[in-house]
Amino acid sequence: MIMQENDETGYTLSLDYTFTPVTALGFYIKQEENGKEILMLTPEFNTLLKRWNLPNGQGNIFNMTGAGLAHYQGNNQPCLWTAFLADYESRRWFFSYEPRFVWDGDIEKSFWQRARIGIAPYLANYKDLNTWLMLQVDHHPAKHDHFVATPLIRFFYKTYLFEVGYSSNQHIMVNWQIQF
Amino acid sequence: MQKHLLTIIIFLGLTTAILADTIKATVNGMVCGFCATGIERTFRTQPEVKAVDVDLENKLVTIHTREGQTIDDSKIKKLLGNAGYSVTGIVRKKS
Repeated sequence: MIMQENDETGYTLSLDYTFTPVTALGFYIKQEENGKEILMLTPEFNTLLKRWNLPNGQGNIFNMTGAGLAHYQGNNQPCLWTAFLADYESRRWFFSYEPRFVWDGDIEKSFWQRARIGIAPYLANYKDLNTWLMLQVDHHPAKHDHFVATPLIRFFYKTYLFEVGYSSNQHIMVNWQIQF
Repeated sequence: MQKHLLTIIIFLGLTTAILADTIKATVNGMVCGFCATGIERTFRTQPEVKAVDVDLENKLVTIHTREGQTIDDSKIKKLLGNAGYSVTGIVRKKS
């Protein structure tokens, strides 16, 4: 899977290979914005900790963890980040919550959290274009803007995902994801 | 009489051997295109599977086997389990 996120927190590129049904290994690059402009480069290890298969939906808890290098104003530091993502998705509703802990050596230690709610205005089968209307709320005390809300629209077709939004601190969000 | 009986038995045996299975598995947890595509890919790589179709609305995975071949319930459950989903029922039909 390849994923790129461009939002008010920065620019992220992530490339993962799923080598067992519950684990994936990949590479993560993030250029932070809206605060200290830290560049992070880490391998990442993703684990599906728990899945609930329900008649009309699916719930998951994932852990994503990376350890590598952080670069800021000529200073290189070891860095470590870990995030837990809990989500519930039906064909109509989407909810997620993600707390994230980031340690960038002596550059910065930060915590941020993200929640999303979404609704599909129509129910489409998977060979059709799926559309979601979503609201994302971020709380990141280390950034200039502590609370940011981003209404967005998600398009989903087979294994292609594309999102575009506009945040309350006036940044355009463009995310995309392709699953191979 | 015995000759006729033998002919019928052989005919029925041959017919069964060349028939293909259409298997409908009811699956919990399928909600999106990523789920459906992953399931389709999983079954398409199985040599006994001719075609597979995912119906999110009815939570059904329909597997068509090649003529004279079948795929047993335990293998279907294992493949779907490894893909991350739960099977709640399997219905078979010869065609």
